[in-house]
Amino acid sequence: MTQFLSLLLNGISLGAIYALIALGFVIIFKASEVVSFTHGSLLLLGAYSIARLSEPLGFFFGAIVGIAITALAALIIERLIINRLRGAPVISLAIVTIGVDIILLTELIRRIGSDILNVPHPWGGGSVRIGDIGISQNRLIATIVAGVLIALFFVAFKYSSWGVSMRASAEDGETAALMGIRLGRVSALAWVVAGALAGVAALFLVGSPTPGVSPTVYTVALRAFPAAILGGLDSTGGALVGGLLIGVSESLASGYQDQLLFLGRGFGDVVPYIVMIAVLLVRPSGLFGTKELTRV
Amino acid sequence: MKLGKGSRSAVVVAAVVVAAASGCSTKAPESSGSAEGEAGDVTTDIGVEGDTITLGVLTDLTGVFAALGKDITNANELFWKDNKVCDTYSVELDVQDTGYVPQQGVQLYSGMKDSVLAMQQTIGSPINTALAPEYEADQIVNFPSAWSKTLTEIPGTGVVGATYDVEIANGYDYMFQEGLLKEGDTVGHIYFEGEYGANGLAGSQAVAEEKGLELVEAQIKSTDQDMSAQVTQFKAAGVDMIALTVAPGQLASVAAVAEAQGLDVPILGSNPVFAPGLLQGPAANWLKSHLYVASPVSAFDANPDLLDAYEAEYPDATPSLGVIVGTGMSTLMKEVLDSACENGDLTRQGVLDAFDGLEEADTGGLVVPIRGFELGKSPSLESFVLQPADVPGGAKVAAEAFEGEFAAKIAG
Repeated sequence: MTQFLSLLLNGISLGAIYALIALGFVIIFKASEVVSFTHGSLLLLGAYSIARLSEPLGFFFGAIVGIAITALAALIIERLIINRLRGAPVISLAIVTIGVDIILLTELIRRIGSDILNVPHPWGGGSVRIGDIGISQNRLIATIVAGVLIALFFVAFKYSSWGVSMRASAEDGETAALMGIRLGRVSALAWVVAGALAGVAALFLVGSPTPGVSPTVYTVALRAFPAAILGGLDSTGGALVGGLLIGVSESLASGYQDQLLFLGRGFGDVVPYIVMIAVLLVRPSGLFGTKELTRV
Repeated sequence: MKLGKGSRSAVVVAAVVVAAASGCSTKAPESSGSAEGEAGDVTTDIGVEGDTITLGVLTDLTGVFAALGKDITNANELFWKDNKVCDTYSVELDVQDTGYVPQQGVQLYSGMKDSVLAMQQTIGSPINTALAPEYEADQIVNFPSAWSKTLTEIPGTGVVGATYDVEIANGYDYMFQEGLLKEGDTVGHIYFEGEYGANGLAGSQAVAEEKGLELVEAQIKSTDQDMSAQVTQFKAAGVDMIALTVAPGQLASVAAVAEAQGLDVPILGSNPVFAPGLLQGPAANWLKSHLYVASPVSAFDANPDLLDAYEAEYPDATPSLGVIVGTGMSTLMKEVLDSACENGDLTRQGVLDAFDGLEEADTGGLVVPIRGFELGKSPSLESFVLQPADVPGGAKVAAEAFEGEFAAKIAG
């Protein structure tokens, strides 16, 4: 039972971080109809900036500036590329984001080079114990911060003028534009929010129990993609549920590797994709995605 | 809200790309011919121009073993800056970065193979395995910065020390001797999928059989960073020791999670698990008190001159034990090339003959004693055991090179 609860808690904390990334993925899709594959490099950019800036600026300012840099990078991508390609086929835009991702990744990996970069989190490698179950303070704080940010986002999405504009433009862009909503501004702000969320996710991803910035940080985004897709690519609530589902199932599959031996070793790695495929087979639009209605 | 046709396509593209990003393939190009030349009374062919020998280096400067690759390569360069073959030939290195991607390694080798006499270094078991047919066809003498048993099956490839199975078995021997492990205990072993991990695991399995240990196995990918689930699994299984055949990132995670969960057991690692940068991270104290690394090389406390020379040449670097590996493999290459040169034959065939004839190679205590390079056999039966410490290189020698109880049986 202890093992199950430990794995569950670890899965939830991992899932909360996936949810932050997946949420950014969904916001961008809703605002600009782009499936953005830039999140892997944005994560690594956030982690790298925070690690580099923590030394001269101290942890808190370093983290804030690092997150701001990630948001700014997302804005630049939107303004310089995505905004100018408005109207291009969705698939072309997705491929363009893969290109941007590879360019950014290559430069970041070159910069990280042979160093092992450590982010000096004030909570360090400390842990919290509840009975026999232990979780790193970093992951606990990550879960709380992710929860607060996601709640704030839902409130803003529902009540702020930006949220209303975004929902309107996602519903029917043309009509929203005729009503005076500036689609470009909505899209730009969506990218900024998504970039900032990736920066926050990166801040916790490079702390205990996975200390240090290494180029493999970007692969976490590959697990957040199925989270967004199985939740429903156009559903913000789906991103949260999808993130948690992927985090927990991955944690359980890795932790019960011995019991799942008949499926082969290393099964935990493929779980996100198996869960995604299984959900899509039953619900092609994802758990909470809007079903397509076609009038014949 | 409607999800239109374009949106559905987007979902499909996303799913396909995500799935494709997890796979890779390797393809070997065909080999090509060679040029001939002669310098003095020493016969030469490929990779020797006048008094200059060119050796290839396929290392990892940007991938998962970047920290290790950089130090090994710097040490190779430093060694050849100060040494000549037969007091005549200076050596130049053609250094290329594979990023620990086999396909990249195969492509880079095809670009350099017509200009190098031999390979001073090829990092990583998967890349060495991918290049094995070509190295064999091109009669290349190669020193891998990897210690997989399958590498000893490649003619001309000289594993610099004991193979991973022998190495970790020597580590177990040390743990038994020190009372950190006893017969019938349970051991959790986390290992990478592929050659490196499988070979380390084979060592654990062999010892487990001899000593009645219960082994809990956990396979991971090199990109997996979070070891929470695996350590939780070990805790539930009540392990008495954790064995690791992974990279430094995973070691840091294992230490952090073990500390968080109060899993207070020793950790035994294959040599590539450790990097000195780990001692700047939050897991430092746990590592210093729990980690033991079985290693083919010594530490800087036994080789202070090498450390001084390295720091003078690369003042900004934080030297790891890769420096000792790199210097050791260059010393071995010099022995081979000197021997070929004395035989008057610095052709690839001549260098390969000299390599095959090498016996009881001595690197001045940098690397464990090498008994010779015989196909399919571990070149050495000995290992050092190192422990992390606040010293240059991040580790001190806990046990000098020794042959453990299980080594001879596993080594064949």
